[in-house]
Amino acid sequence: MRRVAITGIGVISPLGSSAAELFANATAGRSAIRRIDETWCKRLVSPLAACVNFSGNEHFAPAKLRMLDRVSQFAIVAARQAIGDARFDIANADPQRVGIFLGTGMGGSQATDDGYQTLYAEQSDRIKPFTILMGMANAPAAWIGIEYGVTGPNLTYSTACSSSAVSIGEAWMRLRNGDLDVAIAGGAEAPLSFGALKAWEALHTLATEDPCDASTSCKPFSQNRSGMVLGEGAAIVVLEDWERAIERGATIHGELIGYGVVTDASHITRPTIAGQAAAMRAALQVAACAPASIDTINAHGTGTQANDSVETAAIKQVFGEDAYHIPISATKAIHGHLLGASGALEFALSLLAMRHEVLLPTMHLHLAAADCDLDYVPNCARHNAKVKTVMSNSFAFGGTNAVLVARSAAQRA
Amino acid sequence: MTTLERLSKILVKNYKVDPERLTLNGRLEELGIDSLGMAELLFFIEDEFKVQLPFDPVVLPTLGDAVRYIDGLLAAQRVTETQTIADGAPPTAPHRPT
Repeated sequence: MRRVAITGIGVISPLGSSAAELFANATAGRSAIRRIDETWCKRLVSPLAACVNFSGNEHFAPAKLRMLDRVSQFAIVAARQAIGDARFDIANADPQRVGIFLGTGMGGSQATDDGYQTLYAEQSDRIKPFTILMGMANAPAAWIGIEYGVTGPNLTYSTACSSSAVSIGEAWMRLRNGDLDVAIAGGAEAPLSFGALKAWEALHTLATEDPCDASTSCKPFSQNRSGMVLGEGAAIVVLEDWERAIERGATIHGELIGYGVVTDASHITRPTIAGQAAAMRAALQVAACAPASIDTINAHGTGTQANDSVETAAIKQVFGEDAYHIPISATKAIHGHLLGASGALEFALSLLAMRHEVLLPTMHLHLAAADCDLDYVPNCARHNAKVKTVMSNSFAFGGTNAVLVARSAAQRA
Repeated sequence: MTTLERLSKILVKNYKVDPERLTLNGRLEELGIDSLGMAELLFFIEDEFKVQLPFDPVVLPTLGDAVRYIDGLLAAQRVTETQTIADGAPPTAPHRPT
């Protein structure tokens, strides 16, 4: 089996549109969650979101931009960043041995929402000609492939909130087997349309607004947690055959060593301890890692009642007494839940935390729930920490649990 | 404003086509309007000229072809409106509701 290096990171996120900005804000615990002030927000019970400061006009010519839903715009720009960071030139590779693996839960939901607005609200038949192209789930991946002339597999995974952890894991498997030399993998999501927010609201999983400070409304593992806050953005990594990366002198952010994917197959939304624990065990087993060798976990940590208790119990089941000594970060408290992009964003944060030897804080955690009694690194980052091996958890509606394990580049160079 | 001038305005505004290149013999594909772009261009034409295009596919290789096609639609629309008024019925909207 071949080793897999991570040589590039690209990020468009509520906490910043570069890996450096994202990491600085996450370390400082600055929340991107805000009250949104669109006119339709009056019809939302809790009008909260973590928005990206982004203008497509700065990145695309007008004729191209009209074909791109916001989700594709995020994905393309994050991919450009990642490829630039990796200093990867497709001209120096066999394009058929390069693949694109992207996760998204809702695809081009803004274009779909706009189409419905035209059709039903405005009673017009004049739906924009590119609505299908903008709305289709594989558009973000397809555009990246077109931009770079990548002719290997171009695959889109949609497993709700674990989509991009799955896409990275599936890409890793192909690299590990020697089927590909390079993979551009990650996820993108742009779910902040009225229709999507209203539909999420109907599911009663969204956080109520904190009366004192809206930016603190998402409180993973807290006694008074009330749910998640939706966010938008994209995160992409470049995965590369280790030997190839070394040969060309690439900067290596870390080595992806484990991926576990296990399905609950019990309930469409309710998570199970067994399923989450099995995914963590599977990732550890493939990585040939003892549980005690994990230095930190980026938790799925949504801030919902159901997830945080179950995830805590699952971690205890896998790590036993060691669970109490493993720092756990739930960064959704400040960047929101990016649904299909969250796995990739949190994996990117895990890599950055490892590189900078920082344990990222779980913000807005002042009183943990009784059944959430682990070390969640509450409210303040820890610097100069031992962070050599990281785990990133992503669990999903539909029951697909995906876990990634990476170690620092220096570990076994 | 002529049909060519109005069509040129669409091409300059939305496709950033150099006005110098806009001649009746100019091929739309060479101006950057591929088959996908054509679908969008027809949408813009409907808006600009307040006409409803037939559902059937249309092939318009050059700017001149597009101008003649639009002029034909406008002429047919005028005939329909005149007949409707002559028959005493209120004119129907020539354009889809927006």
